[in-house]
Amino acid sequence: MAKKIRTVLKVQAPAGAATAAPPVGPALGQHGINIMEFIKAFNERTANLRGYVVPAEITVYEDRSFTFVTKAPLAAALLKRAAGVELGSSQPNREKVGSVSQQQLREIAETKMQDLNANSVEQAMRIVAGTARSMGIEVRD
Amino acid sequence: MRWLELTVETDVEAVEAVSEVLGRVAAGTAVRPTRLIRDPSDELAVREDRTAPYEITAHIPDDPDADATVEATERALWHLQAFGLRPVGELRVRAVDDADWLERWKEGHAAQRIGRVVIVPSWLDETIGPDEVAVRMDPGMAFGTGLHPTTRGCLALLQRVGPMPPRVLDVGSGSGILALAALRLGAGQVDCLDTDAEAVRATRANAEANGLAGQVSVRQGTLPETASTTYPLILANLVAAVLVELAPRLAEHLEPGGTLIAGGVIAERAGEVMAALDASGLALDERLDDGEWVSLRLSRP
Repeated sequence: MAKKIRTVLKVQAPAGAATAAPPVGPALGQHGINIMEFIKAFNERTANLRGYVVPAEITVYEDRSFTFVTKAPLAAALLKRAAGVELGSSQPNREKVGSVSQQQLREIAETKMQDLNANSVEQAMRIVAGTARSMGIEVRD
Repeated sequence: MRWLELTVETDVEAVEAVSEVLGRVAAGTAVRPTRLIRDPSDELAVREDRTAPYEITAHIPDDPDADATVEATERALWHLQAFGLRPVGELRVRAVDDADWLERWKEGHAAQRIGRVVIVPSWLDETIGPDEVAVRMDPGMAFGTGLHPTTRGCLALLQRVGPMPPRVLDVGSGSGILALAALRLGAGQVDCLDTDAEAVRATRANAEANGLAGQVSVRQGTLPETASTTYPLILANLVAAVLVELAPRLAEHLEPGGTLIAGGVIAERAGEVMAALDASGLALDERLDDGEWVSLRLSRP
């Protein structure tokens, strides 16, 4: 069918546990998208990633039907796992909570490259490194 | 309960980092590209303009801790700037009322009448006139809610065909809306095809919901080059490029004297589509324009 796109939007929600509460409800609701259908499908597709926050990219068509794809968990979650830390730092300039190697940074960048809208691995690495620094995770040289 | 909506505008490179910061205090975030680029060579394609800012939104409960949470978030965003990430905008805060989101999206979805056919969302109790037929259909993950001019155009042309034949083929069935309308108007059986697994699922589910599952068969795939069986009526609400490609096969699957209803044609490509269908031996009986969309009724002599 002639699926002319009205808009695209993304939500990042807990895998397997999305609800109609914000952010999903308001983000989808303003476009008249069937929220229950989204929640059911999102939770089904992300059930094996429980514990992670997973981005979903939603395409809204002109007749308010929609499709979506789920992406790899946020770089922040992958960084925490790589660094072996639970939480990011609240004072990332002063208090470092852990570190990752260049190799780990590259691996995360490669995993996330498509999702990050990056044009190259180097750009993806820069984005992930920025996230790491903002969380108080150092990147070792 | 009220919520505080926190919004930050930022560059593509800082989207993940800002999402992480907002995600520390909220259950998730929504990301909106502020500019989309339409591809002039493909009427369906849209992509994000990565040079334009992205808007990231999160919600926190508006409770006594909210001010402290906002302050901590502002500090964390400031740190992002300090680390030399690309521009991160000011944190904007707005109070919003809580809503029943599971219900609110339904506002604005009303029953739609296209000739005798009434498309009714499942939550509405719509009175159906004695001459009307109802198709129960909720908007979902397959195209064909009845809101789009291409669907409406095909539904209008369907009602110009005369008595519905016993067998119909629906190519690109989407939600199944055209197939179900054809059955309600008197067709005996509709064979549906769609390349999209989600559409196949939706066609089945909607047939079931309308009590018509026994008269609908659905297969995932496209139209074969040679026809093992032909139909007196084919519905093909596709898109210009696919109609051009499938034109010979559509003709091949149509009985002599049969009707093809073709939709999803953007006006500027209507000439190209009509030429391809004409070259396949189909004659144009009627053209219906609705805004930028064109629906066609053709017959095989």
